[in-house]
Amino acid sequence: MDVKYINPFIVATQTVFRTMLGINVEIMKPVLKNVNTTSGDVTGIMGLVGDQKGTIAISLRKKGAIFVFKTLIGDECEDVTHEVVDAIGELTNIISGQARKEFEKAGINLKASIPIVVVGKDVEMNFITKIPIVCLPFQFNLVNGNGAEKELFFLDFSFE
Amino acid sequence: MKVLVVDDFATMRKIIKNVLKQINIENVVEAENGRHALDVLRKEEIDLIISDWIMPEMTGIDFLKACKSDDAIKNIPFLMVTAEAQKDCILEAIKSGVDNYIVKPFTPEKLQGAIDKARARIGK
Repeated sequence: MDVKYINPFIVATQTVFRTMLGINVEIMKPVLKNVNTTSGDVTGIMGLVGDQKGTIAISLRKKGAIFVFKTLIGDECEDVTHEVVDAIGELTNIISGQARKEFEKAGINLKASIPIVVVGKDVEMNFITKIPIVCLPFQFNLVNGNGAEKELFFLDFSFE
Repeated sequence: MKVLVVDDFATMRKIIKNVLKQINIENVVEAENGRHALDVLRKEEIDLIISDWIMPEMTGIDFLKACKSDDAIKNIPFLMVTAEAQKDCILEAIKSGVDNYIVKPFTPEKLQGAIDKARARIGK
């Protein structure tokens, strides 16, 4: 996979988390996935068409999704409610928009669909393109009443 | 200042309201699409419109065009908030008379700056 397809997603994800959540996220080592199932518990999925076609999926574990919701909205929350699902959908939409802006700088024009969000582990996704799927793991400090711990989330994408 | 926030996602309306609160704007009314927003505008005195782009029933662009072609409301500053950062989308909004636009993600400072520019454009 050409690095020009990876960097826009890294820049977009880091920018959105820093701007909207005040969180610095660190990129871990990208991996290739040979299965087309969700990497976390709450996953926002968007199709992209234009100069390339493909799919991106932002997938957070339950704890990370609730933390993102609380930080973004300011409301208390203990479980994955429809509001948490909406927030992850919006986060996916914003990261996708920011990534498309980065792609545009590289001369690649893309348009996106409306995001859908699936809840559940190992849920099968239709990536349009063939596997393998590139999985970008990100890490951030999740601060709660018990102190800080490292939390992972994933941006999976496939392009052709 | 009374602000009308138009977005089909209740969560996004909440996010915008939270950001507005951080810049001391707390008088906010909400609408979930352009058609509903036009109903609100007929009933209430609004000082600023902040609207999403992609919404069912009436999109942000169609809502913008409806506002700018109505003498009663065309002078209300219209700020478009969108995840669509691409040039052709922005150009379409400008052609349709938007007073300013802001691309998500944004900070309270960036939103304040965008509101100030939108209001200045309309002379408010």
